[in-house]
Amino acid sequence: MNNILCRSRRLLSSACRKSASLDQSAVSRCVSLLSKARCHRVTVALSSGQQHWRQGASLRCPFEPKRCYTDTGDSKLTERAEKLEEETNQVESNRSSINSQSQGFSEVFTLNVLVSLLRQENAVDLCVIKVPDHIQYAEHFIVVSGVSPRHLRAMALYAIKVYKFLRKDGEPHVKIEGKEAEDWMCVDFGNIVVHFMLPETREVYELEKLWTLRAYDEQLKKIPAETLPEDFIFDGELPK
Amino acid sequence: MAFPRLLGQLPLLLVQTSSTIIQRNFSVSTAAAAVQKMTRVRVVDNSSLGNTPYHRPPRVIHVYTKNGVGKVGDKVLLAIKGQKKKALIVGHKMPGERMTPRFDSNNVVLIEDNGNPTGTRIKVPVPTSLREMKGDYSKVLAIANTFV
Repeated sequence: MNNILCRSRRLLSSACRKSASLDQSAVSRCVSLLSKARCHRVTVALSSGQQHWRQGASLRCPFEPKRCYTDTGDSKLTERAEKLEEETNQVESNRSSINSQSQGFSEVFTLNVLVSLLRQENAVDLCVIKVPDHIQYAEHFIVVSGVSPRHLRAMALYAIKVYKFLRKDGEPHVKIEGKEAEDWMCVDFGNIVVHFMLPETREVYELEKLWTLRAYDEQLKKIPAETLPEDFIFDGELPK
Repeated sequence: MAFPRLLGQLPLLLVQTSSTIIQRNFSVSTAAAAVQKMTRVRVVDNSSLGNTPYHRPPRVIHVYTKNGVGKVGDKVLLAIKGQKKKALIVGHKMPGERMTPRFDSNNVVLIEDNGNPTGTRIKVPVPTSLREMKGDYSKVLAIANTFV
C-alpha cells in the first residue's frame, strides 16, 4: 500500500509536468528533495497548482518514510527514523491548515494519468483511440498489451488502485472485467475503457482496427451479407 | 375500434356504411416470451460455430438465472451443432423496459467459459444498456459495430 502511494506520487508528478516535459531524472530529483525536506522546507520550483499536492503529500510522509528509498538511496533510511518524531509536530499543524481541502490531491483521474501509469508499468503497444461522438460508448478507448498474464493483471490492478486513490465522493467504483480469462481483461472507467490483452489475443480480435475504421473494418466486410432463403414466407404477426 | 359504433350513431353525417375499416397508425404484434429453455435463438457474431449451417437451429438448454427466464445480459447454454456452448443474450423479442430496444429476433453472442467472445465481430446492433448492467459485458461491447 505504501509502496503504491510512493509510485502514484511519482506518477502524478510525471503527469503534472507532462507539459513541461521533464525527464525521469528530474522527476526523481524532485521526489528525493521532497522526501528529504519533509515536503515543506525546500522551495522547489513548482507551479501553483502543485502547491496543494506538495502539502497533501506531506500528510502522508510520516507513514511511508521507510519504503520510499527506491530512487533516493539507502543512506536516507537512518536519517528518516530520527526525523520522524520532530516532524510529526509540524505535520499536525499542517493538518489543520490542510483541512480545508479534504482531498490531499487536486488530481483527477484523467486520460493523462492513466497513460502515464501504463507507461510506467512497461505496457507494450499502448494504443489510445479517441472514440467519435456519435458512438455514445466512451470518449477514449485504450488497448494495451502485456508481457505475460501476470503482467496484465498487475497493470489492471494498479490502474484500479490509482483510480481508487484519486476518486472523489460520488464517483462510482470500477471493477476488472474478465478476471477469470487470463489473456484479456477490461476496465471501464466511465469515459475511458481500457483493454489489457496478450499480443496473440490482440492479433485475433484487432480491436484497434474496429474502433478506428468503424464500418470499413476488414473483418466486418468479410462477414457475408445475410440473405433470405428462396422458400422464405414472411408470416405477418396478426393480433389474436 | 370505435369507428363502427360512431358510424351507427351518426348516420346523417357519415356516408360510408360498409364493413368496419380498421385503420391504425401503429403496428400490432403478438405477445412474445423472453428466452427460456428450448427457444431457438439467432447467433449474431461471426464465429464459425454460429454461422455454419446445421439441420437444427441452435436451442437454449439452460438459462443461468434464478428463474428460467433470460433477458438481455443473461448467460445461457446453447446446443449448437451437437455441442454445448455458453452464450450471452443481446436482444430478445419480448418488450422490456421502456426506452430499451426490442429486437425482431432473439439474438445471442457465443462466449467461452472464461468469458471471452468466440467470434470477433458483431454486425447486429447491440443495446447500450449492457454497459450499466452488472456483469462482464465490456468485451462484447468492444467487438460490436453498431449500438442501439
